[in-house]
Amino acid sequence: MDLRALKPALAVALLALAACEGPGTAEPEAVPESRSAPLAVRYDQWGSAGNLAPPAEDLVNPFGEDASAAQQGEVLFGAMNCDGCHGGGGIGFVGPSLVDGRWRYGGEDGALFHSIFYGRARGMPAYGGILSDATVWQLVTYVRSQPVPDSVPTVRWP
Amino acid sequence: MSTNGSRAFIGTLILSTVFASAARGQDGDQWTRPGKDFGATRYSELDEITAANAGQLRPTWTFSTGVLGGHEGQPLVVGETMYVVTPYPNVLYAFDLSEEDYPLRFKYRPDVNPAAVGVACCDAVNRGAVYAEGKIVYNLLDGRTVAVDAETGRELWKTKVADLTSGETITMAPLVIGDRVIVGPSGGEYGIHGWLKALDLETGSVVWTARNMGPDSEVLASPDTFKSFYDEGTDLALDSWSGDSWKRGGAPVWGWLSYDPTLDLVYYGTGNTGPYNAEQRAGDNKWSSSVLARRPGDGELVWAYQFTPNDNWDYDANAENILTELTIDGQSRNVLVHFDKNGFAYTLDRATGELLVAEPYVHVNWAKRVDLETGRPEVDPEKLTGKSHGMVKNICPNLEGGKSPASPASYSPQTGLFYVPTNNLCMDWQSDEAAYIQGTPYVSANVPYTAGPGGHLGAFIAWDAATGQRVWEIKEKFPVWSGSVVTAGDVSFYGTLDGWFKAANARTGELLWKFKVGSGVVGAPITYRGPDGKQYVAVYAGIGGDWFLIAGDVRSDDPADVRPPADFAPDLARYTSRGGMLWIFAL
Repeated sequence: MDLRALKPALAVALLALAACEGPGTAEPEAVPESRSAPLAVRYDQWGSAGNLAPPAEDLVNPFGEDASAAQQGEVLFGAMNCDGCHGGGGIGFVGPSLVDGRWRYGGEDGALFHSIFYGRARGMPAYGGILSDATVWQLVTYVRSQPVPDSVPTVRWP
Repeated sequence: MSTNGSRAFIGTLILSTVFASAARGQDGDQWTRPGKDFGATRYSELDEITAANAGQLRPTWTFSTGVLGGHEGQPLVVGETMYVVTPYPNVLYAFDLSEEDYPLRFKYRPDVNPAAVGVACCDAVNRGAVYAEGKIVYNLLDGRTVAVDAETGRELWKTKVADLTSGETITMAPLVIGDRVIVGPSGGEYGIHGWLKALDLETGSVVWTARNMGPDSEVLASPDTFKSFYDEGTDLALDSWSGDSWKRGGAPVWGWLSYDPTLDLVYYGTGNTGPYNAEQRAGDNKWSSSVLARRPGDGELVWAYQFTPNDNWDYDANAENILTELTIDGQSRNVLVHFDKNGFAYTLDRATGELLVAEPYVHVNWAKRVDLETGRPEVDPEKLTGKSHGMVKNICPNLEGGKSPASPASYSPQTGLFYVPTNNLCMDWQSDEAAYIQGTPYVSANVPYTAGPGGHLGAFIAWDAATGQRVWEIKEKFPVWSGSVVTAGDVSFYGTLDGWFKAANARTGELLWKFKVGSGVVGAPITYRGPDGKQYVAVYAGIGGDWFLIAGDVRSDDPADVRPPADFAPDLARYTSRGGMLWIFAL
């Protein structure tokens, strides 16, 4: 099942819940350390149960926009076989394009780290354990360094 | 010339008449095997539709499969039922052809692991099912073979044969030979260790596994049985690889199987060698990019022939091996005909593997010719690739192949000709060092495509495999990526990537009829006689396979994946988008 299809319904349900409980309760309380299930992980910026940020959301890329880290990441993009699915330069192949400015699971630092480290259900392998955190961040730096068009919704033929 | 070859050839002569009747249409009304018959000829004896009346064909029925992946392969027709297998998630539909509207008898929805989609190199395709003894048998993308009761749709058995975590998926159509189900894996881009397996038709248990490379004990090659025309010795598939590169050298089996009941040999092609950087695997790399002949009973290798030694260009040899008799130099020969991705059409003696004819059927420049004495291509050293060669320019054909192995040719014994979908594409190639990470692509090459000479990207051609000559061709704007079928009415059918289904006069190449089926055609048409006695033609529309990856923006289902049109075929996305549909036509 495509998780995104559930999101609007969930968002509506959450709003309704908030309305019932009155003002001031929409802000979730801090989750106690002792809870048995991990924090909810949301795949994009809409509709996360409980409105909790996924664990990776607040992660900040230690390399920022560092050019040499991006260069290292570019080498890794070939060496770790990322291009085998996403195509050379990330233009899209069997896996989706990484340079169209559009993201299934979010294009922020934390979301990209999450996708690479934990993998995604529709075919993205989990590289956590194969690659160190720093190496994953180099890949994130490379992907984010790629020029992205503002918006390309229209393709037109002359 | 080996003496062993001569001995086997005598055997062929004695038994050739028996084979001729068995190979061609056991039951001309039905379509029960992927390639129609054991010889994979895709020839039908039906003759209601002819060159004179094909212009009156009209669609009689359609069905949306509900699936967007590339619709390769073909439906089956068994008795009064049509069976359709979709791409992932591999739903099996059974339509009742005896009632108006063809209502479903059943649909079978297997629980297929979605992770398989990320391990399939080239779209989550499936090339169809096979029918035998009341069972429909086919493969699931996540590496399992299933048998379903053809009447009730009940699952009879399901066997895991391929390992997703090692980069293996399954996309091929199995063949049933006696009580054996023969299957093989995809994964030539994932560093797999290619194999062929036989399962018991009743129980689904694995009877034997034969590796395509490695020591003789795993390849199932023994000095008593293995008698290849050009190669002799032991551990050929081990010693022709540097180091232990054979363990992840690819050689998948994602194409078509054929069978000679007289020789009792099953034939199959193996795919490309991995990784694409050939410098990481010095040697011939046997038996990748090869045709192998095995005994279905115990899997023993009887002969093998390698089309592209030390494959530098992703020239898979998974194309169908069509079995027939041809008169070559005045002699009747029992042959195997194979249109390789490398651009040469090969005619081999199917008892021995002796090469009889090898001529280019498309524009070829990686090799000057194939030496019939040695069986080896004369490679242009300028076209060799590998990391140290940098970017090598203008190699033809490109890695989509002179013909895609996914797009099977057909053969008419009436015209003596083969009907072949072809591509007119070239490529540049730059290899890099590839790192093996289990379950991920093991490729490392940058391969821009370019158009071949002549201003068209494909053609549908008629080929004389006895002389190695093109008899006629229909040029197409885009590569021709569908299979073909040819009939006793001398009509040959094929489809195009821009979504036309076409009929051609099999003798002249005159275009007789065309109909726009919506999405591009990458499936293989079939023809059958319906319960009402009429001849029908069925085909899938649904662009995909490699064209899902390389055609630019032909998908509209994912708002988070938008690509510019492909530079070598910028117009293709203008004419087609994904979407699976089954079409049936009649007069």
